[in-house]
Amino acid sequence: MLFGRAKKNPIKLPQHEVKDWVYTTCGYCSTGCSIEVGVDKNGNGVSARGVSGADVNRGKLCLKGIFEHELFTSANRGSVPLLRDKIFEPYQEATWDVAFDRTASEIHRIQETYGRDSFAIVSTGQILTEEFYTLGKLARGVIGTNNYDGNTTLCMASAVSGYKRSFGSDGPPGCYDDFEHTDCLLAFGSNLPEQHPIIYWRLKQALEKRKFPVIVVDPRVTMFAQMADMHLPVTPGTDLVLLNSLAHVILDEGLEDRAYIGANTNGAQEYEQLVAQYDPVSASKVCGIDEDTIRNVARLYANSGAAMSIWTMGINQSTHGSDGVVAINNLNLITGNIGKPGGTSLSITGQCNAMGTREWSSCSGLPGYRVLEKEQDRSDIAEFWGIDPEFFPKQRGLFQTDIFPAIETGQIKGLWIVATNPMTSMANTARIRKTLEKLEFMVVQDAYSDVETTEYAHVYFPAAIWAEKEGVMTNTERRVNLVRNVLKPYKESKSDLWIFSQMAKRFENGKKIKFPETASQVFDEMRQLSSGRFLDISGMTYEKIETNRGIQWPMKADSEHGIPRLYSDGKFNYDDGKAKLIPLPFVDNNERPDEEYPFWLNSGRVVEHFHTRTRTGKIGNLNKFSPTPYMEMNPDAAYALGVEHMMYARLVSRRGDAVVLVQLTHRVAPNMVFIPFHFHECVNRLSLGLLDPHSRQPAFKQCAVRIESITEQEAAAVVNNAARTY
Amino acid sequence: MFEVRDDEPSYAFIPNVDTPQKNQWGKDINLVDEDDLLAGKSLNINGDSRVGNNPNRYKQHGFHFTADNCIGCHACEAACSEKNDLPAHISFRSVGYVEGGSYPAYRRLNISMACNHCDDPVCLKGCPTRAYTKFAEYGAVLQDPDICFGCGYCTWVCPYNAPQLDPVKGQVSKCNMCVDRLEVGLKPACAAACLGGALDFGIIESTPENRDQAKIQIPGFPSPDITNPNIRFQQVKNLPRDMARTDTTPVRYQRDEQGQGDYKVKATLKKQPRQWGFEKLRSREDPLVIFTLVTQGVVGAFLLLFLGPMFGLEVLSAEAHPATRASLLFGLLGLQIFALVLSTMHLGKPHRFYRAFNNLRYSPVSREVAAVAIFFNLMVVYSLLDSFPDLLAWLWQGAPALLKAVCGWGAVVFGPLAIYAMHNIYRIKARPFWNHWQVLTSFFGSVLTLGALSVGVVYATVLTAQQQGFASLMQLMSLLVVLGLMLEAVGLMAHARYLERTDGEAAASMQEQRTRFGKTYTTRNILLGVNAIAVLVFAALALEGIVALFVWAIISASIMMTALAGRALFYVLVVPTTMPGAFFWKNQGFQEHARQTGLAKMPQVGVLPEVEYPDLQKQRAIRELKDEWQKLRARGVKTAIRNRWRAVFAKA
Repeated sequence: MLFGRAKKNPIKLPQHEVKDWVYTTCGYCSTGCSIEVGVDKNGNGVSARGVSGADVNRGKLCLKGIFEHELFTSANRGSVPLLRDKIFEPYQEATWDVAFDRTASEIHRIQETYGRDSFAIVSTGQILTEEFYTLGKLARGVIGTNNYDGNTTLCMASAVSGYKRSFGSDGPPGCYDDFEHTDCLLAFGSNLPEQHPIIYWRLKQALEKRKFPVIVVDPRVTMFAQMADMHLPVTPGTDLVLLNSLAHVILDEGLEDRAYIGANTNGAQEYEQLVAQYDPVSASKVCGIDEDTIRNVARLYANSGAAMSIWTMGINQSTHGSDGVVAINNLNLITGNIGKPGGTSLSITGQCNAMGTREWSSCSGLPGYRVLEKEQDRSDIAEFWGIDPEFFPKQRGLFQTDIFPAIETGQIKGLWIVATNPMTSMANTARIRKTLEKLEFMVVQDAYSDVETTEYAHVYFPAAIWAEKEGVMTNTERRVNLVRNVLKPYKESKSDLWIFSQMAKRFENGKKIKFPETASQVFDEMRQLSSGRFLDISGMTYEKIETNRGIQWPMKADSEHGIPRLYSDGKFNYDDGKAKLIPLPFVDNNERPDEEYPFWLNSGRVVEHFHTRTRTGKIGNLNKFSPTPYMEMNPDAAYALGVEHMMYARLVSRRGDAVVLVQLTHRVAPNMVFIPFHFHECVNRLSLGLLDPHSRQPAFKQCAVRIESITEQEAAAVVNNAARTY
Repeated sequence: MFEVRDDEPSYAFIPNVDTPQKNQWGKDINLVDEDDLLAGKSLNINGDSRVGNNPNRYKQHGFHFTADNCIGCHACEAACSEKNDLPAHISFRSVGYVEGGSYPAYRRLNISMACNHCDDPVCLKGCPTRAYTKFAEYGAVLQDPDICFGCGYCTWVCPYNAPQLDPVKGQVSKCNMCVDRLEVGLKPACAAACLGGALDFGIIESTPENRDQAKIQIPGFPSPDITNPNIRFQQVKNLPRDMARTDTTPVRYQRDEQGQGDYKVKATLKKQPRQWGFEKLRSREDPLVIFTLVTQGVVGAFLLLFLGPMFGLEVLSAEAHPATRASLLFGLLGLQIFALVLSTMHLGKPHRFYRAFNNLRYSPVSREVAAVAIFFNLMVVYSLLDSFPDLLAWLWQGAPALLKAVCGWGAVVFGPLAIYAMHNIYRIKARPFWNHWQVLTSFFGSVLTLGALSVGVVYATVLTAQQQGFASLMQLMSLLVVLGLMLEAVGLMAHARYLERTDGEAAASMQEQRTRFGKTYTTRNILLGVNAIAVLVFAALALEGIVALFVWAIISASIMMTALAGRALFYVLVVPTTMPGAFFWKNQGFQEHARQTGLAKMPQVGVLPEVEYPDLQKQRAIRELKDEWQKLRARGVKTAIRNRWRAVFAKA
């Protein structure tokens, strides 16, 4: 109208015809953002927006959340149950009853033939807490297998283990509000801007108001490393040495909080003796961070009024992941930084409901942070469920990462996979394939019929996704938030809750135990079981949760609000109420680069994808930012090998090989390459995944590879494309 | 009105702050006064006639981007695509990056960029259909896809990659500044979604809270002189002296030797081997290769046929060879029709071709189309009267002759004017490779070369068939041909020097010219010289007969092939001034790779498979033509045509 045309034309803008905005919680990562899904008059999800009044995300969403409503109609959702006798036969469609009967009879047969524990269940961090609790009831109380675990072993097991070892219980003690109070933030192996963009935004908001030092420990120059005041490019797998050395300086220079150590911890003496060996000079030779920097960071951290540490997979996914977590806890215990505003150990969790599975799924024991090893816990639950306590094993069974080797060697014959995709997510794909084909029976329960693991399954259960059902999830900061049912499940797919309850009916114990029909009835059971416990949620109801946009546990029955921080009173969950300072000697057991395999292989997340891309790989406006796997490689190293930008290269490890598109960048060191872990038949064809002795979590992030240039580029492209069905 | 929630977060609102009167280019930030005729009007968004309550409605607004803070999380792009319902292959806002330094002293600078709603909107000026409007409200430059006919010229002239040509829909669309949100005081969706504290929005020149700079330059951002964009930057963190792009566009950004001053665009250091590049010589602009060459040849031939006899070239007159002359005239017209159809079908929406004249005031495209249309119509009338002198014998005496003369002279004027206007299309600041007078010499060179060649060869053939000599005619034509070739050669030499001198994208084009297309480029240059010499030598020999004619045919073929290769190079060698892409998104190299390898067949890759382009376009054009016809029939053909003409007259 200023210029262009004399008469103004009316403006047409695209508009979503939203009739109702339905409250729910994001189903991707564990930040726990409140989302409203816009539903049109035909009942279709047409838009999504962040809930403005929600404390976690305050109206914001990351790109995955922004397009989450597209999940309802994304490609290759499972529509009907599928069956086949042999894995080389095509699937046939079946009714739910037939699929359930077949599965139940196979479970009976396998358990009767090979023993109760020869049927294993591997679950997830993706479904709702009520569903986890129900699955736990089914696995522990009805089917009765002790080989039952979640894929959280691949992501948060080290944090769980570390918390338990230090504080006597799982449960992240801090919260996002700590950013507003801290005077120093130390981040280990966490790339917040890509992994948890909303948590990064919360941190950035805090920094805009009040500047405090941010130190990032990461072998790669991530965006977080760039934004930090200090970046410590640590040698892969040596965080423990750095942490011990930081503690060394603090104790050596008398910067520790003696009063706190004395009042609230055990084991200080042994711990101090151990860290005395980790002087910065020796440590620097191992961890690659110079002694001056180690001293500087240690002093900065110890002298801050409140200091906090956050970490993600850089710590968890290593051979000493659990030790790394304990070492971070040690650092915070000796500086008195636990349970105070701005002073905490905060693991940044991965999956939307990894916390829910830790709390309520019974994977590692019994619901509500109960353990199989305690007789009281066994009898409490047996009584509550109405079964014989002797039905429970007295010790925890295998972890996920030990279940697969047990399949490989024949101790386990049947497997039920719930919302996880080991074909892509577990280390050493070739070994996983060889393992899965040995199963006499496998059922895969997933929202997507094209999830790669169905290649080896006999039965497929089509599950509903995210807001096609109702229930709660717990986020990184222990906030229980509500997923309201927005849409009906897709075609014949059913909620996981319904699937578990229906399966239960086909077993003897399932007729004894009550399986409530609605999620809120299940939630009531959980509330009862939580009453008076560490993770007390008895004060919560769906309505209260929605009104508050999520509530942090513990929240007692008579309470009006949740508690933001744990251990603020200095009382820990060991019997004497004290935390443990644990000495952690460093053992270098990683597969390190050598002459034959001269590169470190590192893996990690990119912001546009989630896990094995079964969801994000089908949404164009996410997938387009990395539609095919790639490798970040240092240009100097590439030049020497004749490897070029935007060309394919071949990687070879002691496990296998992979073909990947090369992106040359100085973001990675000359002796290291980085590949996103999301893609099928790529990084995990190479990875070793040595297991942490405590958490049994695989060290995805450290192994050695060799890189070869490829002359047959077209053939390489064919190889790569063949693995991309989405 | 856009729905504002009761608890809408404060960061989503545009701050109401005082700003200076003038922007950094001395233009008023207040676009119209309150009592102006333009003020107080509704934007009529989706039929809503209410007027928004934004107190700063008539001030120029713009983005503020703190480049130091952008984490490349794509939230801005996603929020935009979600709000605007964009398919994966289109995005109004894109994040690309430049990077520099070496591990671990490495820095990546992410740049999120959409439309900058410029003070000098080159898209608006370039658009032949007047699909663009710069509104007094917020200074928003909006584009109406319903007017657009998909020529894509705006995508050529915009240095920020803001207009998005959708090959599926056959039309352009772009950032609309979320004017619906602005009307209620909210920032655009992208700025409200930013998670890094980077992208912000407000009245132009108002520096956001906690920010200190409102710069107009950062490395990777094109020179603001091209369009006077309404975006301001903060970038205070030190960056390495050399910043590279990860996409395959062969440019980088460098500070001077002391690491001071603004970053300048340079060609990449990476040298490629010299190749023919045949597989890359073809492009979406192939129809334009044909259209420009044919139009230039037709104009040249017509000038010769019209002016030749007047200057004593009796052999070309209607009296000497009436049938030959008539055939040639109608042959040329046929060729021109073919070229016009070809260039029209190259539009996203061919059935909207008539909108090409809508922007004569600003658009070089409109002017070219108008001039070519006038030339063509005059030539049609002239050719009819020239070939069928009795056609208008029923008019008063002298009238046919007068009409013929008027049309002939008119075409003589409008032909060269059309070629001049055609050349103007390519004088684009954001395309330094084209922005040189060589375009003019090349186009007029072709007028001479192709015009003289076609007339010469046709007449030589006829004369040979009639057992007459053609050597003297060919000698004269040869002079014109060689003159044309020399004109082109002189232009090319000056162009090469200009490309080297200019640096930046121009130097990058030069580098491509010498490497990826190096062998083709050199061969073209050599052929240009060889052709000229061959023409001169053979003309001097003055040979007659069928063998001589055959040799002329070979020389002509060589000249035509050279012209074709040269014109194809002209289109593919352009390195546009544009925003850096990412490794996958907005990376031409990856797009080509995805198409070649078949990855693009998956729609979620966000790259349209090229094989389907023509099919899609054809199907769409046919469908839309049918729709239009149905609509026309529903309204009554006569009424529709009457209304159309009324509208044209009303505009005039």
